[in-house]
Amino acid sequence: MNMPLLASTNMSFLQRIFFGNHGASEAAAWSDGLFMMIFWFSAVCFVILMALMVIFVVKYRRKPGVAAQPSPHHNLNLEILWTVVPSASMLVMFVLGFEGYAMKMVAPDSAMELKVDAWKWAWKVTYPNGASSPETKYISFDDNMLALEAGEADALIETMGLEYPIFYVPEDTAVKLRMHSQDVIHSFWIPEFRTKMDVMPNRYTGYGFQTPKLKSTDMVLDQTTMLDIPGRDMWIFCAEYCGDEHSRMAATLRIVPQEIYEAKIKEWGTPKDPIELGKTIHKTMCAICHSVDGSPGTGPTWKSGNGYGFGYDAALADGTTAPRDANYLRESILDPNAKVVAGYVPAMPSFQGQLSDVEIDGLIAYMQSLSDLGPNQEETNEETPEAADTAGSESP
Amino acid sequence: MSYADSNAHHEEGSYFSGPPGMLAKIWQWMTTVDHKKIGVMYLFAIMFMFFIGGVAALAVRYELLDPVRTVQMMDASGEEMTIVTGERLAGLKDIMNARSANEVYNRMFTLHGAVMVFMFIVPSVPASLGNFFLPIMLGAKDVAFPRLNLLSWYIYVTGCLFGVLSILMGGVDTGWTFYTPYSTTTDADHWRVVLMILAAFILGFSSILTGMNFVVSVHKLRAPGMGWFDMPLFLWGVYATSIIQVLATPVIGITLLLLVFERLFHIGIFDPSMGGDPVLYQHFFWFYSHPVVYVMILPAMGIISELIAVHSRKHIFGYRAIAFSSLGIAGVSFLVWGHHIFTAMGELAAILFSGLTFLVAIPTAIKVFNWLATLYKGSIAINTPMLYALAFLFTFSIGGLTGLPLATLATDLHLHDTYYVVAHFHYVMMGGTVVAFMGGIHHWWPKMFGKMYNEKGGMLGCILVFVGFNITFFTQFFLGTQGMPRRYANYVDEFQTLHQISTYGSWIILLGFLVHLGVFIASLISGEKADQNPWGGLTLEWETESPPIEHNFHHEPVVTHGPYDFDKVVPPGWDPKDYPLPANPSSHS
Repeated sequence: MNMPLLASTNMSFLQRIFFGNHGASEAAAWSDGLFMMIFWFSAVCFVILMALMVIFVVKYRRKPGVAAQPSPHHNLNLEILWTVVPSASMLVMFVLGFEGYAMKMVAPDSAMELKVDAWKWAWKVTYPNGASSPETKYISFDDNMLALEAGEADALIETMGLEYPIFYVPEDTAVKLRMHSQDVIHSFWIPEFRTKMDVMPNRYTGYGFQTPKLKSTDMVLDQTTMLDIPGRDMWIFCAEYCGDEHSRMAATLRIVPQEIYEAKIKEWGTPKDPIELGKTIHKTMCAICHSVDGSPGTGPTWKSGNGYGFGYDAALADGTTAPRDANYLRESILDPNAKVVAGYVPAMPSFQGQLSDVEIDGLIAYMQSLSDLGPNQEETNEETPEAADTAGSESP
Repeated sequence: MSYADSNAHHEEGSYFSGPPGMLAKIWQWMTTVDHKKIGVMYLFAIMFMFFIGGVAALAVRYELLDPVRTVQMMDASGEEMTIVTGERLAGLKDIMNARSANEVYNRMFTLHGAVMVFMFIVPSVPASLGNFFLPIMLGAKDVAFPRLNLLSWYIYVTGCLFGVLSILMGGVDTGWTFYTPYSTTTDADHWRVVLMILAAFILGFSSILTGMNFVVSVHKLRAPGMGWFDMPLFLWGVYATSIIQVLATPVIGITLLLLVFERLFHIGIFDPSMGGDPVLYQHFFWFYSHPVVYVMILPAMGIISELIAVHSRKHIFGYRAIAFSSLGIAGVSFLVWGHHIFTAMGELAAILFSGLTFLVAIPTAIKVFNWLATLYKGSIAINTPMLYALAFLFTFSIGGLTGLPLATLATDLHLHDTYYVVAHFHYVMMGGTVVAFMGGIHHWWPKMFGKMYNEKGGMLGCILVFVGFNITFFTQFFLGTQGMPRRYANYVDEFQTLHQISTYGSWIILLGFLVHLGVFIASLISGEKADQNPWGGLTLEWETESPPIEHNFHHEPVVTHGPYDFDKVVPPGWDPKDYPLPANPSSHS
């Protein structure tokens, strides 16, 4: 919770405890208001019920030799009252809930359409110009250095691990989502817009939202330039259970001024060095399963050594081996279950249609650059001798 | 007293006085058709599954004490090292044959859900307390089909064995809902997923057979003089439950079988890569699993009706309203399955199901009002069963009221699949059914085992469970509204405080149940002998000995008063001097 921001708003204290932050759109604020309405209705009902219960229990507690006093066994008027009042209240909730649902689901025709793709376990947003975001950040809220006392040593601790893609959208714009899954069911949730919708493998789903106007205090760190830029970050979570890394299927939605947004997607749309391209694709789409530092994951690491890495033979689940060359990698991206490495399960979805030829070439170039058998050995020189040793001693 | 002469048969022993010799005793229990023995066997089997599911729940909460972080740090010699913090279940990776700590967590919550739903809470009240007390409360010697009753216990145990076998093979990570296509593709080369699905399939038959048995028993075996509206409300609850079990369970059976076919023979039904539709599965699944929510709660509501009436010595308020609302809930429960999948269905269907969902809330609300009105002007005893009944009114009211924003479409789009939902259904399932079940066990403990339990110990256990429960789950409402999705092994930093509080609460719940366990064991070993009617109940089980004789009654009982006529009748086994009746009993019937 961002307390200073909260203190500057006029929301009720309770609403701040429940939702922590402002709803980011009119529809979100509307649904928070409806929630608080239902909350107050419930709270009043609950307090009356519990007060009566406590009063009865204290007042009519058992006393030796005193009988329970008779009272009517039913009372039609009372019973009609406590049937009709809840029914009427619920009718109001139903109608208001329907109204808010329509606000969340229906986007204006002029809305900017973003294509959302999901697979185990990453999100990808494709912009109207065909570009997608290469930028990432860490999951931790303060993703900078934390000076902590650790073990015996006073050491700097740096949060590491996975980075999550950042999707930029312009401020004060109507956005609609067209979503599709490559494998199992996922659910695209932006808590600050108070809306989620399941992402299906067999049809498009979607919803709309209006991005907020930025306040002058809204600043975020641009990881590419390490400068503060106007912007506001929001979490995107997968809300439908989808397997091992479900809890790390997150991303950041970043609201920025129109001109920054346009500059970004223009930059992403221009061709770049294949290795750089492969590196960013790995970071945004592949890193959740495939490490580049040799650590184990759902899929094989791309670092060479121990029988892994570009150029080394892959020991397959069916007992055969296959040379890990460019054709093998291309096949494994487009038809992942054709050759599965021993010790792994066929969990990878096909990226047919997800990655262009240029992007596949970029990925292969990046994998080559990571290997001591690749053409770009100078980049990995420090690690090469060690890696080659262990790779050589590996049994097939 | 409703039967004339009991002197002639006094030598007849209690139902659990068996033949001498351990083996002979075990054989007698394993082959018994006595509903009381079967009820007790169910009680022990169900409590064992509750223990397994509870251990998994504690493991889930333990993992969530802190978020998982990869950090790079310098060690003493100044060398850089990378460590992963917060993977508290990583030690189980090898035992469970899992790829990652996340997978251990995913299997743990699946195990918790599947065990608690299919093996604990669905059979809990009807199969144990229902089996033991339904025939006695009807004034019958046994259920309508005693052998079928034993068969259903064996089917239940077989189902549980399949589930335990699947757990011993490492467990499954499908989630207890087995959503497709994840459930048909995960762990493809292992049998454990199929075993777990088959466990649920087999348990369904146990449920159907018990349900049929109870429906027939209620229709055909009521004692002379007992009309439909002279039945105790516990029986109305169990009766409505049984109808749901018979009608809904076959649907899940067929669905699970289709799932097995898809996994084993790759027949495309739910998996779109084979031409199926994954949302079809969700409709099939919830067509059973929503009504089954009421299988879980209706018998619990029946228990609460008994506890509140007996321990406040008051005629239940609005008997017919409670009875009919049980049937009303059973009927409407078949029309609201869609509210589990608002985010996966079209707009028109979502609107229809939202409206229907509000309908089911009304009979539930009516019951709460009736229980409260029953307390009015009563003579309210404060003991463990009554404390549990009051705890039920508290937690179940929260459970019911927090359902309103979930039935409301606009707010559900935010709250769906978050910790808010987790908190809501735990308030209903645990705060409702488990709390009522514990109250019922204490209420009928003297009758079932012929021994009193330590009242102070029972109340201490109840308070610990109540406090721990609220600490564990009330925090989760805030986690959900603030944006924490469910089924997450890991979370962003801002949620840590609430997760920690929730985990500490789970340890208090554990402490509460350990106190209960101690109280029960002490009672069985050295409990004071229970009277025939320690609470002053008027239903037929209090007219027989504690524990009951093998055939329940010496003579067929004849019902001469209503189950809640506390202002007119001195309870059986009581001296009128100890039980003052009001001077002017109510003129209503």
